[in-house]
Amino acid sequence: MPSQPALPHLLAPYVSSPPQSSLTIVSSVLGATSNWLVLRFLYAALGNPSASNSGYDISGLENGKKKKVVLVSFLRGWEFWRSEAKRLGLDLARLTEKRRFAFVDGLSDLFSSSSTPSQSPLSSHQYPGAGAVPRTTLPIRPQPTPARLRQPVPLSTGSNGIASQTARESGPITKLHFSGSGVAALDALEKEIAAVINELVDTKLGDDRGESEIILVVDQSDLLLAATGASKGIGATEMGDWIMGLQQAAYATIATISADSPLIHNASAFAHEAPPPLETEHAAFAVGLAHRAEIIMQLRNLETGAARDVSGVLRVSKGSAWGQREIATAEESWEEKEVLYFVQRDGGVNVFGRGE
Amino acid sequence: MVPSNMSHRQTHNLLLISKLLSLRDTASPLTLLLDSLEQPATPLVKEYIRRARLSNVHVTLIAFETLKPLEGVDAFISGRRKSPSEILKDVAAAYQPDSSNTPNRRRLILIDSINPLLRSTRLDKNFHLSTFLSSFIIPSGSPTAKIDSSLVITFHLDVPGRPAQSPYAPDPLTVLTYLATTVIKLHSFSHILAQKAARDRSLVPPVFGLAEEQDGVLLGRLDKPIGKDSAEGGVVLEMEYRRKSGRGVLEWYLLPPASRYPPTQVKEVVTLLDDHPLYRPPEEVGGGDEEEPESTFELRLTERQRREREGVVLPYFDAQQGDGPGEGGRILYDMGEEDDFDEEEDEI
Repeated sequence: MPSQPALPHLLAPYVSSPPQSSLTIVSSVLGATSNWLVLRFLYAALGNPSASNSGYDISGLENGKKKKVVLVSFLRGWEFWRSEAKRLGLDLARLTEKRRFAFVDGLSDLFSSSSTPSQSPLSSHQYPGAGAVPRTTLPIRPQPTPARLRQPVPLSTGSNGIASQTARESGPITKLHFSGSGVAALDALEKEIAAVINELVDTKLGDDRGESEIILVVDQSDLLLAATGASKGIGATEMGDWIMGLQQAAYATIATISADSPLIHNASAFAHEAPPPLETEHAAFAVGLAHRAEIIMQLRNLETGAARDVSGVLRVSKGSAWGQREIATAEESWEEKEVLYFVQRDGGVNVFGRGE
Repeated sequence: MVPSNMSHRQTHNLLLISKLLSLRDTASPLTLLLDSLEQPATPLVKEYIRRARLSNVHVTLIAFETLKPLEGVDAFISGRRKSPSEILKDVAAAYQPDSSNTPNRRRLILIDSINPLLRSTRLDKNFHLSTFLSSFIIPSGSPTAKIDSSLVITFHLDVPGRPAQSPYAPDPLTVLTYLATTVIKLHSFSHILAQKAARDRSLVPPVFGLAEEQDGVLLGRLDKPIGKDSAEGGVVLEMEYRRKSGRGVLEWYLLPPASRYPPTQVKEVVTLLDDHPLYRPPEEVGGGDEEEPESTFELRLTERQRREREGVVLPYFDAQQGDGPGEGGRILYDMGEEDDFDEEEDEI
């Protein structure tokens, strides 16, 4: 367990209760990734502040509503999120059984033609032999974490025995499969994700009673845009519409997006050369999303260079859509802020102001 | 500066913005709002809706970005995944003008952001922006009917456009600015103040947000970076109004935050930017011509002291009278009532 609270108190007001039908954008750069922040969102919705193992009954109950999370990830596999969440004391496999959490895998089989797009249990026969191993080892934490090597989490082994063991633990996870082109293909993906959301809403399993709030986390959907592009008839507008469709299905949506300089600024009005299409579409997608977001959380490197005790800077701002809300209630009022953060070796995160 | 000129401009331009925002006499059939992440157009759009409600105007919002209808909108039309002709049909269906005796309600059509439509890959080659926009304003049935709709379009300046399909086709922004009868560009008041402060010191004005070109920065604006109650909230509107004669009117206005006035206020809330005390501090009364160093001593003269000083005949005037050598150049001094006669000092 990390020594400091899993949810730093400076961060808590921003991640714990995203307003209804809102869009939160988390932008990241290569040197300051957003995985830790996504995990904090998961923890804020699912975590149990008092105990880690003795039941999840009291957790996530706010206004008598249960919070549930659907995580759609395009850049990381299930193993990554499971092991990272475990470091926070979140057992995602068990939460999946309890129908509090669902994982949608947009990485493993997105473009492979063999698998079926329907819901299928993650089991060993789905892996086409060794081909699956590089995919599961792709997502490595960008932060140097020597502690991870000492951990028993078998991230890089990827043998069949481990995979089938995961299957028993995790239950069904949905794998997205991209087929066709254009809006029809995106609609199919949207339908699959919406099906997962609806299943969580009206599930009869588990200890579920009363209303529940579904928080949808879409991790790095810009991969989809970059991998398809204009040749498949998908541009920034189509992606933006896709996110909007997902927003309608969930209570609140959190989307992460890359905001590295080349992706954003090559296509800006200040550039003189004609920008390549990938950069143009990405910039239009990212800026367009930011125009629609209520809350924008920007992660970036420290301007003064790398430091031993600072991983990066987090700036929380109100997005354009914030002004559309009527007078904010007391729980929704928060201030814009810029803080530093430090991701430690054990996965714990320190958040502090400048000079503190 | 001629004060009457200033007050004339004040009255005239304030009347103009009031007419434009309240959609009186359809002064501007097509208004283009140019915004950015640093200053979104939302406050101004809300102000449009507020005024439309006050004067009983039918409000239609065509939403490409907005998920939930804003308060005060009569018809909400989602533009998601719709072709331009479908949108036109929906807009026409949203409000059926009464053919009976009562005069029709005026109509305000808002487009929350035109960028997604312009970027859409599914636009066919036959799509013409000007035709699309004018069919909102001019009802197709009767071209002679009186125009009573106003169109307000938001365009995000920082969303890069689609590469031109034809090398000879103009950029959509060019077309929009050409068509628009009013162009309003929005700025954040705090940024305008910061840039003015830099210009006053002959420094390079700072840039914010995306223009900083810093890695990972999409949005530079922080709400209230210093004090909580700074008076710097507000939106600066850089307006260009094209008259029917072709002459343009340029003016900068300030729209205060919506929390500063009740939603039912009829009196004009927009002021000229030049009239704002933070942008142009009021000049000191009377002391405009002479700059004197400040100190704890009172170095300035009172009116009476100045009069008496002017009355003193200086020694060289006396010397010019030419009473002969040795004469003249005397110090002529009349004792004032506050002078204290001192024997020892004055006996020389």
